[in-house]
Amino acid sequence: MTRHDWFDQGERLDQALATLPRDVPPARDLWSGIEAQLEPAAAGTALATRRNPWAWQLAAAVVLVAASSLITASLVRRDAAPRVAQAPAVPAPASVDAQALPAAFGPSHRLSPEYENAHRQLTAMLQERIGRMPASARGKLEDNLAQLRRAADAINQALAEEPGDPLLEELLLSTYQEELAVLAAANQLTAAGGPGPQPDSSRIQL
Amino acid sequence: MAQAGSAGVCTMPAAFLGLGRHEPRWTLALDSAESELERARHAADEHRLVEAARRGSQAAFEKLYRLHCGRVHGLCLRMTAQRETAEDCTQEAFVQAWRNLARFETRSSFGTWLHRIAVNTVLAHKRRRAESLGAEGSAEDEAAETLEDGGVPDLAMQGDLEAAIASLPPGARHVLVLAGIYGYSHEEVSAMLGIAVGTCKAQLHRARHLLGTRLQLGEENT
Repeated sequence: MTRHDWFDQGERLDQALATLPRDVPPARDLWSGIEAQLEPAAAGTALATRRNPWAWQLAAAVVLVAASSLITASLVRRDAAPRVAQAPAVPAPASVDAQALPAAFGPSHRLSPEYENAHRQLTAMLQERIGRMPASARGKLEDNLAQLRRAADAINQALAEEPGDPLLEELLLSTYQEELAVLAAANQLTAAGGPGPQPDSSRIQL
Repeated sequence: MAQAGSAGVCTMPAAFLGLGRHEPRWTLALDSAESELERARHAADEHRLVEAARRGSQAAFEKLYRLHCGRVHGLCLRMTAQRETAEDCTQEAFVQAWRNLARFETRSSFGTWLHRIAVNTVLAHKRRRAESLGAEGSAEDEAAETLEDGGVPDLAMQGDLEAAIASLPPGARHVLVLAGIYGYSHEEVSAMLGIAVGTCKAQLHRARHLLGTRLQLGEENT
C-alpha cells in the first residue's frame, strides 16, 4: 500500500467513524434496575465541601501513608517490650477512637464485616492498653493513626469525584490495611504478657 | 459581460448577496443561530435537572438518565463489545453518578462527567474479571482477549465497521472509541484510561491500522 493509499484509507476510516451514531440505546429499559439502587439520601445529602484538586489530595495521602508506615516501623523497633513493661499504667485517652475510620470503601461501597470487626476489636484492645505506652510513643502513635485517617478521608473525597478510579481504590484499600497493621503493631507492643490473640491484619479481607 | 446562469439570470447579484447555489446563506446563518439557541436551552434544562437531582429528586435524575442513556450505553457497548456487560456498566455508571451527584462541579459538562464514570466502570469491570480469572493483562493477552472474552463480537453490533471495532484488542478499542467516535482529545483519553499520552497515540495508530486491514480484508472477501 502506498503512502497515498494509506492516507486515503485513513481519511475514509475517519469519515466512516464520524458517521457512527454516538447514541446506542440499550435494548431494554435499564431505569428500573437503576431506580432500585438509588438510596433517597445519597444525592440529597448536603452539598460536599468544595474540593481541592484531587491530585494534590492524592499526593498528600500517598506521602502521609508512606510517612505513617515509617513512623510505625521505627516506633515498634525503638519501644520494645521492656520499656512497655516498665511504663506506668495510665488511663487510656479517649482520642484513639474519637476519629475512627468510617467503615466505608469510597462513597458507595461498604467494607467487609470481617474488616469492621477486626477494626473494632483492635481499637478496643488498644484503648485498654495504650496507657502502658510511654507518653512520647503514645503521642506518635496517635499522630500516626490520625494521619492515616486524614489520608483515607482525602482519598474518599477524591473517589467521590472520580468514582471507580482504580488507583484511588487501591490506595484507599492499602490505607485501610495500613491502619489495621498499625493498630495490630501497637497492640502487640503494649501487650503486658506478650502478644495475646488478636486479628491477623494481613489476612483481613477488605 | 458575465455569462448568465442556465436560467438566464445573472449570478453576480446572488453571489454579492451571499446567496449560495442551493441554500441562501442567511438561511444557514438562521439555522445555525437556532441550533445555538437550542443547545443553550438544552444546557439550561440539563442544569436545572442536575440541580433538582442534587437536591434528591429521582424524577429529575430519571430525565437525566433518559437524556444520556443512549450515549453512555453506546460508549459502554463499544468499549466492552458485550451487550450484557455494557448494560451492567451503564446501570452501574448511573448509580455511581447518583451517589456522587453532590460532588459534581456544575461548571463542567454533566455528560463528560458521566462518561468518565462510565469509562471507570468499564475498566473496573474488566479488572475484576481479570482478577477473577487470575489473568495478567499483558498486551499479548489483550490481543487474544477479544476472542476469549465472549468469543464473537455481539450480534447487536450491526455493520462491518462496528463488528471490526468490536474485534479490536481492548486497549486499542478503548482509545479508538473514545478518541475516534466520541471525539475526546489524546490528553482527555489518557486521563480517562490512566495511560500516557504517547501510549494513547500508539494505541490509536494500532487501532486504525488493524481496522483498516480488517475492513480491507472484509472487502476482498466479499
